[in-house]
Amino acid sequence: MKSHSAWGTSKSLVKFRIPTSDNLVPIRLDIEIDGQRFRDAFTWNPSDPDSEVVVFAKRTVKDLKLPPAFVTQIAQSIQTQLTEFRSYEGQDMYTGERVVPIKLDLRVNHTLIKDHFLWELNNFESDPEEFARNFCKDMGIEDPEVGPAIAIAIREQLYEIAVQSVTSAKESRISKKGRRAGEFYSASKTGGNAVDLVKLFGNKSSVIRKRKEWDVYEPIVDLLSNEEVDALEAKEERNIR
Amino acid sequence: MEKIFQDLEPYSVPSYSNWFSWSNIHEVERFSLREFFDGSSITRSPRIYKEYRDFIISKYREDPSRKLTFTEVRKSLVGDISILHKVFTFLEKWGLINFDVKSDKEADNCNGNCKPISVGGEEEEEGWRGRVKVEEGAPYGVRVVAAPNSMKPVATLPPPPSVRADGGRGVGEVGENGFKWPPLASYSDVFGDSVQQEKKKVLACGSCKENCDSAHYEYTKEGSFILCEKCFKSGDYEKNKLADDFKLINSGNQSDVWTEAETLLLLESVLKHGDDWDLVAQDVQTKSKLDCISKLMELPFGDLMFGSANRKSKFLDVTGDESNFKQAQLHFNESQECAKVEDPSHGLKDEGQQNGYADTQGQPLKRIRTEPTSNTSYSLMNQVARISTAVGPHVTASAAEAAVTALCYENQCSREIFDEDDNYVDLKASAENIEQKRAAQGNLLDGDEGPKQSEIQGPSSHKDTIQINLRMRAATATALGAAAAHAKCLADQEEREMEHLMATMIEAQLKKLKRKMKYFDDLELIMEKENAHIEELEESLVADRLNVLQRIFDNGISRWRDHASVKSQTGSVQ
Repeated sequence: MKSHSAWGTSKSLVKFRIPTSDNLVPIRLDIEIDGQRFRDAFTWNPSDPDSEVVVFAKRTVKDLKLPPAFVTQIAQSIQTQLTEFRSYEGQDMYTGERVVPIKLDLRVNHTLIKDHFLWELNNFESDPEEFARNFCKDMGIEDPEVGPAIAIAIREQLYEIAVQSVTSAKESRISKKGRRAGEFYSASKTGGNAVDLVKLFGNKSSVIRKRKEWDVYEPIVDLLSNEEVDALEAKEERNIR
Repeated sequence: MEKIFQDLEPYSVPSYSNWFSWSNIHEVERFSLREFFDGSSITRSPRIYKEYRDFIISKYREDPSRKLTFTEVRKSLVGDISILHKVFTFLEKWGLINFDVKSDKEADNCNGNCKPISVGGEEEEEGWRGRVKVEEGAPYGVRVVAAPNSMKPVATLPPPPSVRADGGRGVGEVGENGFKWPPLASYSDVFGDSVQQEKKKVLACGSCKENCDSAHYEYTKEGSFILCEKCFKSGDYEKNKLADDFKLINSGNQSDVWTEAETLLLLESVLKHGDDWDLVAQDVQTKSKLDCISKLMELPFGDLMFGSANRKSKFLDVTGDESNFKQAQLHFNESQECAKVEDPSHGLKDEGQQNGYADTQGQPLKRIRTEPTSNTSYSLMNQVARISTAVGPHVTASAAEAAVTALCYENQCSREIFDEDDNYVDLKASAENIEQKRAAQGNLLDGDEGPKQSEIQGPSSHKDTIQINLRMRAATATALGAAAAHAKCLADQEEREMEHLMATMIEAQLKKLKRKMKYFDDLELIMEKENAHIEELEESLVADRLNVLQRIFDNGISRWRDHASVKSQTGSVQ
């Protein structure tokens, strides 16, 4: 029976949430005051009371010795993102069977990571943190900041996809298109980034990837020297401005 | 033939996993990985599971000695990464992959000093493509602090002047990248305040106001005025001061150079007072407490002295003569200062008896290791002394003979060189002679007690030291010769034993072969008999057939049908 499966069944409508075992919201901060820049990324539990936001902001400022003007900015930013998350919360999203490709392309201090793999969207027991832990362990990454950064990157992408599926669910309800066949409803409707399941998992094909594709899905971890880091940072700044 | 069998080693799988088979999916798998078997998704099916499983296990078995990581396989498999990880951990848990392969994770962080633990670890390192490791300085997130619990980061202090490499290792030594290793938790700075006092004694030159590190010149009329070497040479004195009035004081060298007399005093006082450094320093008047300690540590047997005066007795019965031993130590000291050569008998290298010295050095040490482990801390001299007592008298005698001949050869040379008293020609660069030179220089400038004393001691002790030198060399040579001879005996004996064992083995093999041949002979015999027997049987059978046919013919052939059957029978008989 399917009752205990962690996977959402096809065509089911679930209340919006991040499709991982912990419903944590990825929060990203990028605040600049008087030439001082504060960037951070972490996960927040949306069930925490909002009063925690201010407490957290104050503590962060104190720990990092930032000027006090940051407190309000940080708190505001977090609050905005949380509110946005909550706005989706009451709504439904389709979970159907969807496997999406997740791409990692991030730089954390001196480590550059590029990776590409598939993630099943309706697997509500998935754990980006566990994936990040295994990744760091297998690749021998010693920098303790890399793991959480990876987990947050994954969460952000999942968040985005979840948001998309909510909007698509809304659209479909509005358009009232009647019954559509099959499990691939959401796949076809909500965008091209889902993977064609029939092609990959159908009986005619093997789930072993072709060798020439192995490089595409292989993780690349680079340790940069100081100069390269500076160069990359300068480039990023230019892009933002 | 054998090589093929080596390649075909069976893969080891733990006994609790013997349910596994390539062609089936077992209950265990169905139970643990339910998602594949409940038809909940098109992405999961038994066929898909089997493909994953077979691929992962085959991948692992391509090289069973290395630990297969999830990252290596997941790039080759299509599917949700979490479910792939689940399959991977399942297989790993049941030992179907990575069975008994140790991880080499911890090796990475050891600054390249450690090697990976598992044998396959190195291959794994090479196999990681796209991985560039550049290490600069301490690992990220680690701060090097001065003491385990203090938060002060370490600036590069110069190592304390009196704590030398031996004693200060691990504390004062500068490690890679200019970092000073934080001292161990057990480190306690016992001599810290002494170091402070020492530092205060740094002298400043009167004219150029710099520190006089090495020799400086003290103005005798006014004790407090000093000039550094450079200023003195450049003639830059204050008014009313003449060159003659300056006395050379090798303050910097004072703690570096130890005369034999001082060393003797030091050793005597250490034996007498044991660990009480204040008293020792008092006895050795010209050297500070710290100097004494560091000097003692430098001497190769010095760490034996740390402890108590109880050891005195041990030293005594080894050579039978305390003074002799002291001289041996002095000689050792001297030769160390000469050439920093570990081999104390470098002068005897060309002696034929010392041929096997290099090889046999392992042997005597081996012997010693069978005795209590405290012996391993003894210096070479001590070990040699021990060996000479352990060895039989005839060995010692022959060794002594050889040593004496060697020394006679040398004797003439040394006599010639040391003959000239007043000629301070540069001799064999022994520290003792350098000391003499400096003393002579000091003498030239203006006599003071210190330099004069050493000068007087110099020539008078010259001749004495020669005798002592030779005596010591004789003692050393004897001991080493004894060791060598003993070692040779042992080696011979071992060889004989080896030969004997080889002979036994060969005999055993031959016996085996003979038995086998005999067995085969017996078999052949039996075969032949059986053969004969069977042939007889065959003949009798043929005879019987003939009989039967005969009777048939005698009784006449009734119908042509039987004729045909008879024909066929006759046909088959023929």
